[in-house]
Amino acid sequence: MKETENLLLLIAGITLLAVAAAHAGEEGYSYGSIEGKSDTCLACHRDGKAVAPRYRIDTGQYNHTSHARIGCAACHDGISPGHPADRIVSKKTSCNQCHRDTAEEYGRSKHAGKASCGDCHNPHQVSAPEEISGQEMNRMCASCHSKEAMEARHAAWLPQADLHLGMLPCVTCHTASENYLITLHIIKRDGDNPYGEFRLATFAELDKLAEGKDIRSLIDTNSDTYISLEELRQFNQKQNQRLLRLQGVMVPEQVTHDFKALESRWNCTFCHASGPKAMQRSTLALPERNGSFTRIDVEKGAVLEALGSTPDFYMTGATRNATLNKVGLAIIAGGLVMPVGHGFLRFVTRKNRKERSHRHE
Amino acid sequence: MSENKMIYLQPTPVRIWHWLNALGIVTLCITGIQIRFPEFMAIFGSYKTAIMLHNTAGIVVSLSFSLWFFYYKMSGKLAKIYVPKPDELKYGLVRQAFFYFFRYFRGDPSPHHATPDNKFNPMQKSAYLAIMFVLMPLVALTGILLMNVTPLRELILLSGGLKILVAVHFLLACSLGAFLFTHVYLATLGRTPTAYIKPMWSGWEETEGDEAEVHH
Ligand code: HEC
Ligand code: HEC
Ligand code: HEC
Ligand code: HEC
Ligand code: HEC
Ligand code: HEC
Ligand code: HEM
Repeated sequence: MKETENLLLLIAGITLLAVAAAHAGEEGYSYGSIEGKSDTCLACHRDGKAVAPRYRIDTGQYNHTSHARIGCAACHDGISPGHPADRIVSKKTSCNQCHRDTAEEYGRSKHAGKASCGDCHNPHQVSAPEEISGQEMNRMCASCHSKEAMEARHAAWLPQADLHLGMLPCVTCHTASENYLITLHIIKRDGDNPYGEFRLATFAELDKLAEGKDIRSLIDTNSDTYISLEELRQFNQKQNQRLLRLQGVMVPEQVTHDFKALESRWNCTFCHASGPKAMQRSTLALPERNGSFTRIDVEKGAVLEALGSTPDFYMTGATRNATLNKVGLAIIAGGLVMPVGHGFLRFVTRKNRKERSHRHE
Repeated sequence: MSENKMIYLQPTPVRIWHWLNALGIVTLCITGIQIRFPEFMAIFGSYKTAIMLHNTAGIVVSLSFSLWFFYYKMSGKLAKIYVPKPDELKYGLVRQAFFYFFRYFRGDPSPHHATPDNKFNPMQKSAYLAIMFVLMPLVALTGILLMNVTPLRELILLSGGLKILVAVHFLLACSLGAFLFTHVYLATLGRTPTAYIKPMWSGWEETEGDEAEVHH
């Protein structure tokens, strides 16, 4: 009996391994390091002089992508040996070959005929959803759906549409995700001008302010790659607050490709009555030298604090503070002292006043 | 009954203001609860309706507040009616409180006699002064800022951020709610429970010879 069991276990194990291997191989490409995979091509293509600007690859943005780890040839598999002199146009692998699930999901969506993968993604500058700011995600949409047109369209039913479209990437409302979280971005006044407009702070700007230290140290003062409420409070109190501040953006945990107008997002309570429990999680997104972002976990409940942690982020209904609720209740109870207390004595002594008015008649 | 006198106590603009204000503030309180606690309360249907109603009522109350302010300002009575005199602060307040909490129960008349130029007793003056010159303008101001977060962001930042505005707006609203309970209750302390409410509606107050009103 024991042997059959072992045999069964062995078979199960092998099957599992095979399935895993098949999955790992699904993309058909290994993608370890970027070493050497793109160098020959980049010798010319990183250089704006060797190739026309439209053929230049921005290595700053390319090198950190997953695509850099599979290399140019994985997609451009038809480059001829005589390139570029022979002027043969190289074949480009389509996205579907490697991203079958995404392509299928997108293919089923109403949006499929409206835009192709390349309309939203530049294959040489792809990012994972957690490496990209909401603004940049919105830039993908803005080439077809202009900001002004969208504000006007949404303002027809959405109160403070300008605020919503500024703080919510389009995909938060137009793709389905199980969960949402608040990412805090550092924004900065333009050109160190105390009246300048606020923009996402770039790596270079924060690097200058960090004075030689890691830019993380601007908030994460104890360098434990974790942002406590105390660290947030300190950041907000610091002098540079006039130039820097934290902006909260609500993003989906997963980005799906079923772009559509979701019925549930039409109902404000989807976000505003989710209850304080839903608003516990937040992360801090810090810019990287290469233009992407790294997220760092923030202590639970940051956006729910009364004042200190995120002084300028408030979602009505969802991020109300429990202590303030109690103070408010106490005030209202104070207002009931007179009607209840006085009213009781008034009832008890009602005879006295009746006698008085009789005496006068 | 000895001879009854009618005096015109509440001019029309004040009455219009008052009832617009009352309706507005009650609407604001109820929609406000729904906006802050949507899980527990949905009297006005959707959240959006509550917000629209709250915003509209807020604007109506702010406008009617301006009506009230300019009416009194123009008539030059603002200070006379609403600002307690030093004497009133020193003795009047105590006398009035003593009346409310002791002599009233014995059936004594109020020490204050209402006339169109001096219609409030010292306690009323102090309470209305705080409500109308501090609470109301501040709730309206914070409310207007919260209604226009993006266009007025710089002002919001100057005040210390959205959260501080929300906190101030909420706590002031609770204070107005507390005032409302007390105010409505005191409005029933006349000779009859509606003795004070009628003049606020018709303008005319009936006084009973020299046994003047137990004006609250
Ligand atoms: C010696 C410099 C050089 C190298 C090395 C080079 N390219 Fe190019 N490539 C060019 C130039 C120049 C052009 C523009 C040709 C034109 O104007 O028609 C070009 C054009 C292209 C194009 C656009 C035209 C087309 O064929 O679709 C692609 C794609 C391309 N290169 C891919 C690659 C890849 C992948 C590699 C590496 C395997 C590579 N190149 C290596 C110089 C180079
Ligand atoms: C993930 C697949 C992928 C990888 C990896 C990739 N490319 Fe591309 N590349 C594409 C696709 C798809 C296009 C076509 C884009 C379009 O038509 O908008 C393209 C277009 C180009 C073009 C022409 C741009 C144009 O406007 O026609 C050049 C040049 C190019 N790639 C060079 C490179 C080089 C050099 C590398 C490596 C450093 C590289 N690519 C890596 C997918 C890839
Ligand atoms: C040769 C295979 C291949 C092709 C073709 C390909 N990709 Fe990818 N792509 C990958 C791999 C591998 C990853 C790493 C993601 C993962 O782990 O699943 C990736 C990741 C991505 C990401 C997420 C970025 C990240 O770092 O996780 C995006 C966005 C993306 N690809 C878009 C595209 C688009 C758009 C195209 C077509 C222009 C395309 N890809 C074509 C292999 C490919
Ligand atoms: C309408 C715009 C749009 C179109 C069209 C689109 N995407 Fe995306 N895609 C996004 C956005 C927005 C994200 C999230 C931000 C990011 O990772 O760049 C994303 C993310 C991705 C990711 C990373 C997902 C993850 O969870 O790591 C992949 C892979 C991807 N897209 C592939 C594709 C492919 C393949 C196509 C074509 C079939 C496609 N996309 C078409 C907008 C689009
Ligand atoms: C290449 C152009 C293009 C891009 C890029 C694009 N869209 Fe669209 N989208 C369209 C067109 C065209 C329509 C149909 C016309 C319309 O409703 O405006 C559409 C329709 C939509 C609709 C309505 C779908 C429905 O249910 O009827 C939504 C939602 C949408 N887009 C969201 C997005 C989002 C989010 C992005 C960015 C991640 C994006 N789009 C990027 C072209 C684009
Ligand atoms: C607060 C959630 C929310 C945000 C953020 C949002 N949308 Fe929408 N959007 C909706 C809802 C809900 C509808 C459907 C409204 C309707 O039926 O009129 C809609 C409608 C649309 C439509 C028209 C669909 C149609 O059938 O007419 C387009 C296009 C669109 N959105 C694109 C965008 C783009 C692009 C962005 C980012 C700039 C964006 N939306 C941001 C919730 C949102
Ligand atoms: C349904 C609720 C209300 C009732 C029944 C009510 C009743 C009255 C009555 C009877 C008076 C006249 C008595 C007096 O002169 O003091 C009065 C005056 C006044 N009430 Fe109200 N009130 C209500 C709501 C409010 C609200 C919400 C506010 C302000 C936030 C308010 C502020 C005032 C003020 C300032 C006066 C003095 C008006 C003046 O003559 O200048 N009332 N109220």
